[in-house]
Amino acid sequence: MTEEYNVDKIKVLEGLEAVRKRPAMYIGSTDEKGLHHLVEEVIDNSVDEALAGYCDRIEVTINEDGSITVDDNGRGIPVDVHKDYGISGVEVVMTKLHAGGKFDKGAYKVAGGLHGVGVSVVNALSKWLEVEVRRNGKIYKQRYERGKPITPLEIVGEAKDTGTKVTFYPDDEIFGGKTFDYHILKKRLQEIAFLNKGLKIRLVDKRTGKEDAFYYEGGIIEFVKYINKNKNPLHDVIYFEGEKDGVHVEVALQYTDGYAENVFTFVNNIHTKEGGTHLSGFKSALTRVLNEYGRKNVFKNNEALEGEDVREGLTAIISCKVPNPQFEGQTKTKLGNSEVKGIVETIMYEKLSTYLEENPSVARKIIERALQAAKAREAARKARELVRRKSYLESTSLPGKLADCTSNEPEKCELFIVEGDSAGGSAKQGRDRRYQAILPLKGKILNVEKASFDKILENDEIRAIISSIGTGIGDDFDIRKANYHKIIIMTDADVDGAHIRTLLLTFFFRYMRPLIENGYVYIAQPPLYRIKKGGKEYYAYSDEEMKRIAGDGTTIQRYKGLGEMNPEQLWETTMNPAKRILKKVEIEDAIEADELFTILMGKNVEERRKFIREHAKEVVNLDV
Amino acid sequence: MTSENIIVRPLEEEMKTSYLDYSMSVIVGRALPDVRDGLKPVHRRILYAMKEMGLHHNKPHRKSARVVGEVLGKFHPHGDTAVYDALVRMAQTFSMRYPLIDGHGNFGSIDGDAPAAMRYTEVRLSKISEELLKDLDKDTVDWRDNFDGTLKEPVVLPSLIPNLLLNGSSGIAVGMATDIPPHNLNEVVDAIIATIENPDISIDEIFAKYIKGPDFPTGV
Repeated sequence: MTEEYNVDKIKVLEGLEAVRKRPAMYIGSTDEKGLHHLVEEVIDNSVDEALAGYCDRIEVTINEDGSITVDDNGRGIPVDVHKDYGISGVEVVMTKLHAGGKFDKGAYKVAGGLHGVGVSVVNALSKWLEVEVRRNGKIYKQRYERGKPITPLEIVGEAKDTGTKVTFYPDDEIFGGKTFDYHILKKRLQEIAFLNKGLKIRLVDKRTGKEDAFYYEGGIIEFVKYINKNKNPLHDVIYFEGEKDGVHVEVALQYTDGYAENVFTFVNNIHTKEGGTHLSGFKSALTRVLNEYGRKNVFKNNEALEGEDVREGLTAIISCKVPNPQFEGQTKTKLGNSEVKGIVETIMYEKLSTYLEENPSVARKIIERALQAAKAREAARKARELVRRKSYLESTSLPGKLADCTSNEPEKCELFIVEGDSAGGSAKQGRDRRYQAILPLKGKILNVEKASFDKILENDEIRAIISSIGTGIGDDFDIRKANYHKIIIMTDADVDGAHIRTLLLTFFFRYMRPLIENGYVYIAQPPLYRIKKGGKEYYAYSDEEMKRIAGDGTTIQRYKGLGEMNPEQLWETTMNPAKRILKKVEIEDAIEADELFTILMGKNVEERRKFIREHAKEVVNLDV
Repeated sequence: MTSENIIVRPLEEEMKTSYLDYSMSVIVGRALPDVRDGLKPVHRRILYAMKEMGLHHNKPHRKSARVVGEVLGKFHPHGDTAVYDALVRMAQTFSMRYPLIDGHGNFGSIDGDAPAAMRYTEVRLSKISEELLKDLDKDTVDWRDNFDGTLKEPVVLPSLIPNLLLNGSSGIAVGMATDIPPHNLNEVVDAIIATIENPDISIDEIFAKYIKGPDFPTGV
């Protein structure tokens, strides 16, 4: 080793030291998400090999000691000495930030990785990392600890194939001993397998013996089928792909007899949750193609389909491979490349037009479905106008049942949606009337999963909710118009309260989703018991808590409804911001949530029964 | 306001838990009968409350409102109409093959006439209900706390007679439903005796020899 080499090495360590100092800058956070991001960063490298056509098998193993191994059959990281750095290719990739084949178009045309920081970051944040490269008929191995090479790259055996195997143990100093979650990895690996047809991915958890394998010959076609497995599709999945100016586009779509729209977009295997240019290209082409085909073959009068008509009941996956993706938006999951819109639009327009011409019976079904949606939209528009007109007549734009607050600052205002007038009365008298508004609902609201849009708008309770919140609904939704920044569902602590909660959440998820996405939806936590013990009063929020407090000489009152509480008690336990506990509702996985709503609230009773049977043992509160 | 106590709750989890709580409670505790006594909780609570009030078949009738109040206050914390409707149905000779309650006053008709309000009608247990409740105080069944833990209620009634088969039951829960027709007491008892004598007797044989079919209260 020369003097020169050591000096260089010190610089490298400084680079990785920066990663250890501010890990969140490189992997987003050091919570569970960040921990699993490490695995993704390693898998990305294997997927890049797959995208380039050199790898068709990835194996991820969670080891008994808590480390994780990613093994692929790609070409293996180059082991020869890098001419600029004087160290092996493996060491460059492992110790230099932004090193790797993906940063130059030479090795990979497109590459995944949201942050694109490379595997060196994983190395820096690992207590130890071992890399094994199978290349040139040899097995090379090197070990690192907290980013520093401990052994040189050594030949440890003969290799029959090629590939790279990385095993690492995340540093407890950074991640505080968090462990890998099988479920999170499983979901992500399944997604990757869907998006890369023909790629075989296996996940093994040696801690528990759990194991899953994913392999989808049909790729995103099977993804669409998977999402629609509990729905009634109207036709076979329509699939096409195309390439233009280096951008590769794959689309799979299928209509169902449901009402919800489920369009999921991906760029270089990353789920673009906030959409972007590829999504707008898809949408405008879909509307254009269906209108053109309809005018030529189906429409009788001067019908015109709008975007929301052609997307009702649509499930679609759009997967693009873009050489230099630009991500924008709050969570950096919105594609910004303006050229992609035109590319997706052109490909989609050509291929879908051709498909419809060749499959007139499917085309007719789709158009007629969209026409029905248009009719419902027209009816809904009328109903909506009625809501508006009616509210003008009442001189205030808010429904009569609403006990509004006096403040005009939405950021500070809260809307409590309560069950029944009994509870409404307690809440109204107990609230802080400056910031807290109360909307009592009559009994159980409509299940919107089973109703069409115009029927939903005809429902009094739903209309009261919409006009109280003030944002509008569906395509008219505008979060800036929200009258309250906290919408708090406050139902009784019994099973009917639980049911009303599910009905309200279904409505918010299907028709006011940004409300949940922006963190406006909360669930109140009223106490289950009041316990009197020696002149003192305690409140218990769970059965365990009650049993802990209760004892001899205590009287226990079980609250069945909020109306049983005095207004002051309700304020003290549930509404007072200084004392209460609120549950903030967040969507973890939109695809899983959609599936859950379809099963629990949808039309298919058989699926629902299956779900209840499978999960019957998990029930928390059984009320008889 | 800054120190607010906020817990993040994943939507998927909230839906799953709340929905399971609701659906399982409706299935086991509300809409479907227990196979042992053929009763849903509301019916069981009415019969037990009436026994506790001493409303036996050989005692005078009492106002329905008093029974409803007793059931609501002690065992069944729900709406009063739900309790009164259940009470009425158990007294209707056209709804029950063997009415469990002996009613006095207008309990409605098969043509759909509504029963009189609970302040008018009077009730007591019917003779056959005594068989359902018999030996309740001889440690024959399990007991559980009522809703506020101040009283005990039976989990199931001792049921000397197979009430589920006699009166049948129907109900719609979540994801599942039940509809069992009523049967004739003599036939069912014959079938029970036959089963005791030959435990291996087949269902087909029971149907062929003893229980020829359902026995509806309206005689059809």
